[in-house]
Amino acid sequence: MLKAPGWEMSIVLYFFLGGIAGGSYFTAAIADNFGSHRDRAVARVGYLLSLPLVAVCGVLLIIDLGVPSRFLNMMRVLKFWDPMSVGAWAVGIFGAFTFVSSVLSFSTSESTAVLRRRIGLLGMLFGFFLASYTGVLLSNTALPFWSDARLMGALFLASGASTGMAAVALVMFLTRTGVGDGWHKIERADRYSMIIELVVLAAFVALLGSAAHPITSGHFAPLFWGGLVGLGLIVPLLLSFGGRRVRALGVVSAVLVLVGGFVLRYVVVMSQHG
Amino acid sequence: MARTLAMFTDTSLCIGCRACQVACKQWNELGLEQPEWTGGYQNHAHFTDKTFRLVRFIEEPKPNGDLAWLLMSDVCKHCAQAGCLEACPTGAIYRTEYGTVDINQDVCNGCRYCVSSCPFGVVSFNTQTGTARKCTFCNDRIHNGLGPACAKACPTESIQFGFRDELVAKAEKRVETLRAMGFKDAQLYGADSKGFLGGLNAFFLLLAKPATYNLPDDPKVPQRNVVVDSLLSIGSAVVVGLGALLAFRERGGREDA
Repeated sequence: MLKAPGWEMSIVLYFFLGGIAGGSYFTAAIADNFGSHRDRAVARVGYLLSLPLVAVCGVLLIIDLGVPSRFLNMMRVLKFWDPMSVGAWAVGIFGAFTFVSSVLSFSTSESTAVLRRRIGLLGMLFGFFLASYTGVLLSNTALPFWSDARLMGALFLASGASTGMAAVALVMFLTRTGVGDGWHKIERADRYSMIIELVVLAAFVALLGSAAHPITSGHFAPLFWGGLVGLGLIVPLLLSFGGRRVRALGVVSAVLVLVGGFVLRYVVVMSQHG
Repeated sequence: MARTLAMFTDTSLCIGCRACQVACKQWNELGLEQPEWTGGYQNHAHFTDKTFRLVRFIEEPKPNGDLAWLLMSDVCKHCAQAGCLEACPTGAIYRTEYGTVDINQDVCNGCRYCVSSCPFGVVSFNTQTGTARKCTFCNDRIHNGLGPACAKACPTESIQFGFRDELVAKAEKRVETLRAMGFKDAQLYGADSKGFLGGLNAFFLLLAKPATYNLPDDPKVPQRNVVVDSLLSIGSAVVVGLGALLAFRERGGREDA
């Protein structure tokens, strides 16, 4: 006799794009702080990608409200134990970080770069948060499957990383920036994230057991096994090894990872839909 | 805080007249709804944004093959540890000085997180107002010295209103009486303030196991795993971060997986 919240496409898209925004930002911050000057393209693309994405996220969240004009009511209180409350604050704060980092990424002066790196380290924490809190939000409801999934946040984070990195790689390819070393590094980082995501996903399914049936069997099963596990993770992982030599394979791999990331949010959210 | 108020619904006295359901509709101006076919006399199948009191008609097979009618006037439980209240990011859902849980309709912005956070599926989303709706414990009435409309209308005193401690004592006696009469499964649901959800401020006397009434045996506060889930997410973040670090770090040569 439980009730689903009736969240639909705008929330699926928010979970998906929020993961990419968080993932591309923390990837950018790590590349900025720990990479070489040749990784500057990764950092810039990552920062610049997260800004419009988080803006879209804000719009998606607001239009999904029953009374959109009251969206600022989210800022009346801060409940640190409530993912929805902390999340609303974090989207705003993270948005500010993406803006500042994006602006600073245009500067070539070394002192601005130092400032940008420091800001990136701090903003990175909010990026991690944005990519994962949506999972914790679902796993702390009264609904079965969602509330049984202890690794929902961990899985969303790993997916945010793989999709964020895939998005950065794709934008770099399309805009022909950072050809060479930067591309190889983002590809390698994405490969690691895919492996981590596969491991977390395996643990997620194993720990859930029969509680995972809403997505592992029934009419979402083809999407889950085919769209996420197969096309969204295993195939791109294999392709990305080839992508080290043939760039087109790397691009296909990135696109598939993004599709997989969307499918993950879609099956998880929609499996509880009315 | 004032003394905690409660509603005690004694299902053994319910005759299924639905005066409570109608009184609730009328006092709270809850408007018309399309009826649903539920295969029996019950309407609706579950709480809606316009049905806050709902008489459940449960047909229970008897050993001789006949059906017994279990009637239960169901309502928001006004939990002492309320999942909806904890989930609400705007503070629209609040606890009154009487211990009841209400939704401030002028503050709610319709995020619907409370809907999925109620362990009983009570809170409902109203698409016209764009807000979450549920039983208010007739907040306007109790602040004017009146009991909730449903309790007032009940002709058999199946729904009783009063101070929680007094009602619990009464309910415990009633269970003993019923057991002595041969209703061996008679039991209280949510009366124990040390039990699940810190006790329910709308508690029940049931004639069968909670599952018979589609009530959970041991409902839990939905937010109980926030810390564990967050720590696991942080663990995932550390591993992912180290992976990215490994990929981007300058010294150490190529680290192809």
